[in-house]
Amino acid sequence: MKKVVACYKWVIDEADIRVEEKDHSLNFERAKYKISEYDRNAIEAGALLNEEKGCEFLAVTCGPNVEASLKDVLSRGPASISYVNEEWLADVDSSVTSKILAGIIKKIGNVDLVICGEGSSDDYSQQVGPRLAALLGYASVTFVNKLDITEEGIKVERKLEDGVEVLEVKGPAVVTVLPDINKPRIPSLKQILAAKKKPTEKISLKEIGFDINASQPKLKTLSISGTVMERKNMQINTDGLSIKDAALKLVKQLNADGSLA
Amino acid sequence: MNFQLTEEQELIRQMVREFAETEVKPIAAEIDKNHRFPKETLQKLKDLNLMGVIIPEEYGGSGADAISYMIVIEELSRACASTGIILATHTSLVCYPILKYGTEEQKQKYLVPLASGEKLGAFCLTEPGAGTDAASQQTTAVLDGDYYVLNGSKCFITNGGYADTYIVMAMTDKGKGTKGISAFIMEKDFPGFIVGQTEDKLGIRGSSTTEIIFKDCRVPKENLLGQEGQGFKIAMHSLDVGRAGVGAQALGIAQACLDESVKYAKERVQFDKPIGSFQAIQWMLADMATKIQCARHLVYHAAWLKENNLPFSAEAAMAKLYASETAMEAGIKAVQIHGGHGYTTNYPVERFLRDAKITEIYEGTTEVMKMVIAGNLLK
Repeated sequence: MKKVVACYKWVIDEADIRVEEKDHSLNFERAKYKISEYDRNAIEAGALLNEEKGCEFLAVTCGPNVEASLKDVLSRGPASISYVNEEWLADVDSSVTSKILAGIIKKIGNVDLVICGEGSSDDYSQQVGPRLAALLGYASVTFVNKLDITEEGIKVERKLEDGVEVLEVKGPAVVTVLPDINKPRIPSLKQILAAKKKPTEKISLKEIGFDINASQPKLKTLSISGTVMERKNMQINTDGLSIKDAALKLVKQLNADGSLA
Repeated sequence: MNFQLTEEQELIRQMVREFAETEVKPIAAEIDKNHRFPKETLQKLKDLNLMGVIIPEEYGGSGADAISYMIVIEELSRACASTGIILATHTSLVCYPILKYGTEEQKQKYLVPLASGEKLGAFCLTEPGAGTDAASQQTTAVLDGDYYVLNGSKCFITNGGYADTYIVMAMTDKGKGTKGISAFIMEKDFPGFIVGQTEDKLGIRGSSTTEIIFKDCRVPKENLLGQEGQGFKIAMHSLDVGRAGVGAQALGIAQACLDESVKYAKERVQFDKPIGSFQAIQWMLADMATKIQCARHLVYHAAWLKENNLPFSAEAAMAKLYASETAMEAGIKAVQIHGGHGYTTNYPVERFLRDAKITEIYEGTTEVMKMVIAGNLLK
């Protein structure tokens, strides 16, 4: 039985972030957390491999507040979750995240396939998957929109800018999936209620041999501010203006605004 | 005291909200306009194990708690009040009494398919001459060998025509008043079971409301629910759960009114400002939000009492009374905030207002709720 692991990130729901009018700073006061959007596709891909191919399916994560995510994720298919929960992980970059995830995956052992979302809803660095592959010594396959496990190995379809590439990967691999690979399920009531009976494993940094001092983030966020779109609320085709005249008026306005420059 | 929902209850809300937003809300206006019963939604509710939320797993349900059940009805009704009442009737008034009063055989035969969503239920108490005066039942059930023979008619039956299993109240002994009423489990295919006229309603038009007629309808003796003469008690006990459910439905409608009003107040510009910047609108929103919060506490508290096996009859009546009046008020304010647009079908608030009205009427009118509450105070 193949062992499949999905990685996910527990992120702030961007819909809850408010942009302050006065200085465009971000207000997170009422923000809730959610599973990063594409990671929901990664979890669904793992759940389908479990249901359709009989693969063993587990999930892993790390972050500052991930214990709140466990039941939600467990209701979506994995048999268990192994995780590192550390406050300081709030400010790390993908180099640190991938080292910790690689440590957890190595600890699980004998993992045949790691599935990640193509990028996270917050930073969208698209680095965790490929970095994980390098750290684990696995093949790396990105932009995957079809995934299957066959007798020969792992078969994937990559959706690229100028075409579609179909690959067969022998041996263990890390794949990063696109949102159109599947439609993440809405867990049923019984799946939600069953989640509390599934095991979770909290892992310490020591257990995975992670040295904080040797693995400082290489990226530092200096500031984040929101952009506010201000609307002029102008109506161009007023007073029975013909379409031609309205178009000319619109062009004139756009030129005046510097929008066509 | 703890006002925090459990993680599980939050996840259930998240799940039902996602389902309601993606599958229920998009068809809500259409089923209302066409008076169409949303059969396809029932299959989806079944797939999500929502047809027997409070029924134990051993009887085909999900075994969730009563507050979770309120959350399910609230969130569905927030998207579509018709869908909310289809499920609430099925669960509170059909699954629940069979669980509470049914024999093991009845539970296996009827509750398991109902709670798993294979079958849909309806509850037949109201008659043309027995509305608020529910004790004046004219439908009779006479024992004839191994069968009861039912004659009479019921009206305003939610899920009528679409339901497979019906809980029916009928007089087995007229001389005993309410203690002469018995409850029966009936199948739509029993000979003499007739679905009558479908009502054309002000609101909840996606739900079916029909007459049910019994003409020498033969019901096997083993389909008597509880004991002979226990029907009124079964009906009143079921209605306690049902009233909390209608409270949750009203709460969902009121919340939808607030959600749409807040959205519109931010978008709609008059006098060069969003109308939400005017105090007249702000006060309406503040009143709505405050009353909705009160209603939510009342509904969840009634459910909490039930979950903890404490008396909850008066509290369920309070929850329904307050939540339904809040839904009506929120509906009126939502239409007012939307102005002329709110009076048209271009916005959903006119539907919310029409849907809200029935919550003050069915499963006991506002006046009956006050009788129940006062009765509890004075006994």
